[in-house]
Amino acid sequence: MLIPFSSLFCLLLIAPLVAGATRAGKSPIKWIGFSAALVTIAALICGAGAALVAWCRGIPVGLDLSHFSPFSFQLSLDRLSGFFLFIVCAVSIPAVSFSLPYVAQHYEKSRAVWYWSLLPLFLLSMTVVVTAATVFAFFLGWELMTVLSAALIYLEGDSEERRRNIFLYLITMHAGAALVISAFLLFAPRAPSLDFASIRTAAGAMAVPEKTAIFLLAFFGFGTKAGIIPLHVWLPRAHPIAPTPVSALMSGIMLKTAVYAFLRFVFDFLSGGPAWGGYLLLVAGGISAVLGILYALFENDLKRLLAYSSIENVGIIYLAMGAAMICMKNQAPVYAALALLAALIHSLNHAIFKNLLFLGAGAIHSRTHSLKLNDLGGLLKLMPMSGTFFLIGCVSIAGLPLFNGFIGEWIVFQSFLAGGKLSGPIAQVVIPLAAGALALTSAVAAACFVNVFGAAFLGRPRSPEIRPSSEVSLSMLLPQGLLATACLVVGLMPMLLIRPLWSVVETLIPGSNFDSVARIGSSIQAMAVVVLLAATATLAVRFLTRVVVRSSPTWGCGLAALTARMQYTATSFSKPLRTVFATVYRAERKLEVSPAEKLYFPEAISYQSTRTVSYEKLLYRPVVNSILAAAQQLRRLQTGNIQWYLLYIFLALIFMLLFMRFR
Amino acid sequence: MPVVKVAQFVLLILSAPLVRGITARLKALLQRRRGASIWRPYADLLKLFRKEDIVPPSASWLFRASPRLGFAFTVAAVAFVPLVFSGGLLSFTGDFIVLVYLLAFARFLLLLGALDGGSSFGGMGASREVMISVLSEAPLLISLTAIAVTAKSASLASIVAWTQMQSFFDMSAIHMLAFAALTLVVIAETGRMPVDNPATHLELTMVHEAMVLEYSGPSLAFIEWAHALKLNLMVALLIALFVPWGIAGGAGAGAVIISAAVYVIKFFVAIAALAVLESSVAKLRMYAVPEFLGIAFALSVLAIVFTVILKR
Repeated sequence: MLIPFSSLFCLLLIAPLVAGATRAGKSPIKWIGFSAALVTIAALICGAGAALVAWCRGIPVGLDLSHFSPFSFQLSLDRLSGFFLFIVCAVSIPAVSFSLPYVAQHYEKSRAVWYWSLLPLFLLSMTVVVTAATVFAFFLGWELMTVLSAALIYLEGDSEERRRNIFLYLITMHAGAALVISAFLLFAPRAPSLDFASIRTAAGAMAVPEKTAIFLLAFFGFGTKAGIIPLHVWLPRAHPIAPTPVSALMSGIMLKTAVYAFLRFVFDFLSGGPAWGGYLLLVAGGISAVLGILYALFENDLKRLLAYSSIENVGIIYLAMGAAMICMKNQAPVYAALALLAALIHSLNHAIFKNLLFLGAGAIHSRTHSLKLNDLGGLLKLMPMSGTFFLIGCVSIAGLPLFNGFIGEWIVFQSFLAGGKLSGPIAQVVIPLAAGALALTSAVAAACFVNVFGAAFLGRPRSPEIRPSSEVSLSMLLPQGLLATACLVVGLMPMLLIRPLWSVVETLIPGSNFDSVARIGSSIQAMAVVVLLAATATLAVRFLTRVVVRSSPTWGCGLAALTARMQYTATSFSKPLRTVFATVYRAERKLEVSPAEKLYFPEAISYQSTRTVSYEKLLYRPVVNSILAAAQQLRRLQTGNIQWYLLYIFLALIFMLLFMRFR
Repeated sequence: MPVVKVAQFVLLILSAPLVRGITARLKALLQRRRGASIWRPYADLLKLFRKEDIVPPSASWLFRASPRLGFAFTVAAVAFVPLVFSGGLLSFTGDFIVLVYLLAFARFLLLLGALDGGSSFGGMGASREVMISVLSEAPLLISLTAIAVTAKSASLASIVAWTQMQSFFDMSAIHMLAFAALTLVVIAETGRMPVDNPATHLELTMVHEAMVLEYSGPSLAFIEWAHALKLNLMVALLIALFVPWGIAGGAGAGAVIISAAVYVIKFFVAIAALAVLESSVAKLRMYAVPEFLGIAFALSVLAIVFTVILKR
């Protein structure tokens, strides 16, 4: 298995060179993309194969590159990293192939070369993160992942606002990375070398306060990357402004690397974390899930909406991980295993349908040049294939049965039924109540994606400027079709996923048995059979009875005809829910009627509603201000006089000597 | 045994319009009117099935597909409900969650169909419906979880079997709280007074009726049937979860007949209560519905808290 595994890395390194070489050869822009994409996809297929073997068979693969690097650089695959490598490799194939038409449509030659050089490297960084076996390798991947994705965002365009957002992204990522590296360094005094195997043994001998500190650092460090509220501020700013395939990769896959790393820390290194850790995760996950989807409901920009919904889905994953930790500490390993299984399944499922939806957004944009929900409408008739694929994505993300989103949510719900089997009374109350948070989340998600699909694809077009010519090209449809098929296959045959994932769970939670889960597959199949029978029976009515279908305009309530402006917009659709959850949004409304004297017969009305709950103002501004104030004070050290700097060096030397002497 | 299960499944589907007819008739009697025949909903459905399907020019394939698929999903949800036999047609761990989600799928499709009409009414009804459904989902699943945790079982059949073993006079606070919460949720979910008035055609107040205003002919028939079916299903679920006594545990013909008779009595009591309620309360203002469902939410949370306090 070493050959496909190493060829994954080699080919991903070759791909940028191919892009560069084709450019030097003065070949047309199409060929640059085509050759680079071919190499990249070949690499990803190799990687997915190696990942599948490591994940399902549990055959470990190791790759030691320490000779080529200053620090110990090892990569290895066990079942857990095999699963996440599979997510990174397999799910990114459609996004890579979608890049071909996207780049051809949006970029000129030089930017295309940059894109095709950066994209494989970005994928490479993610594969390094999920397969790293030493701290150095992990950090190299982790940092490259941030920097390369920022570069890809920058490639999409340049403006003052975009730069600010990219800057915010880089700052928050590095703050998170600082916490992560501190978490790793806390192992250093006890681990002889900073590779994962010795960290694992070191963690066993650690005292509780040290473990607690590591847990908290990892929670906040990886939480920043995963986009847990309130550490999420960068996510809805950075994800939507990236090139659409990269948005898909960032939302669908990059966030999962944080989930992977956190799982590695908590379940592998710290073997479960502190007793209260589960509650922290459960509460953080619940808040992120509920608020994330409520913010998504408020959005009008499709890509921003999808970014907020990523926060929601990561929230669901954290909710499940929290439940797993709580059940583990309360002597219910079977339920803990169920919850962890759900977290893993949802990680893969979210990667699939979030990629699908982002690519769908790309398809909409390529035809309508708009992503504002209030301007779209009626696209299903004009883009029937893309529309159907997008609908499959919406149904999946809303967690409805027969589609993949349901599987994860259903298994989490089953773990919430642990209730009385848990040993602690607090857990007995908190775990079933988490079912309420998840129910609310999935209900709002359904509302949100009814809104999205209804506003974009149903009814009539809302803006006269938007006249989509036709369906998108096959090169854009194919990736969407692949992902939509994956949604259905996983939704109908979950055992394909559950069986191998159970072996991953077994390595992390001892004492769990498979019998309780084995039934899930047959249950889903029984349900699917009944649903399909009912559907065919209902549709058969059509052939038994003679139905005449007539197209006739809707009655316009006395007006000549209905216009597109009379139908509900995305904003008006979500209005009742926004009123109910007004405390969450604290919206500020601005209504302008012009001319002002003609209040009842105005020529134009403009309405604006903005969310005023701002984490930047409440949480980040004070922190930033205090950092700036401290920096202002530290400036006094910087005199610009070389004598002073020599004095600093001298004092530092003295201090170090004394420290080493009297330690 | 499978025969009984299939029979109760088919009966529940076929009797749905009758339930509607009986409720309307009871309401009429309470209001000193004569009222229409209890069979009228069947005549309505037959008439609608024979009419032509009128589709707005802007609508896509989804407009006609959604009522049919929505009906199919509601029918699929019926397969989980125990009626005269302690298990439904399908029964497995976590089946009540699947039931809730199948109904959610049916609603999802109906909402899409409403938006596809491209008029203001569809959107109006859909946006109101979505508010109610979002708020009722959490109390629904929390109270079902509370009951499942109390019964230490995770499928409807085993919950029913467990409840049957208990004495009626020994009902715990958990069951009372969950029952109250679920009743409120059922009223909201099935669009009955005081949340939605099934008899209204006033655009200021209607929810479900506004949502389906663009539909006609067979499409409307499927929607109305599914809507009636949902009421039938929810009432059957309430009866099975909270007053299952009398339900047949074995396969004997006698037990099944007794069980069916007992069920009819229980069902009439429930329907009569609904008719009395609908005749005696006024419809709530739309923004008072969140408070109504807030009560359900609070009750369901209390039910969970009581699962720990009342340890058996």
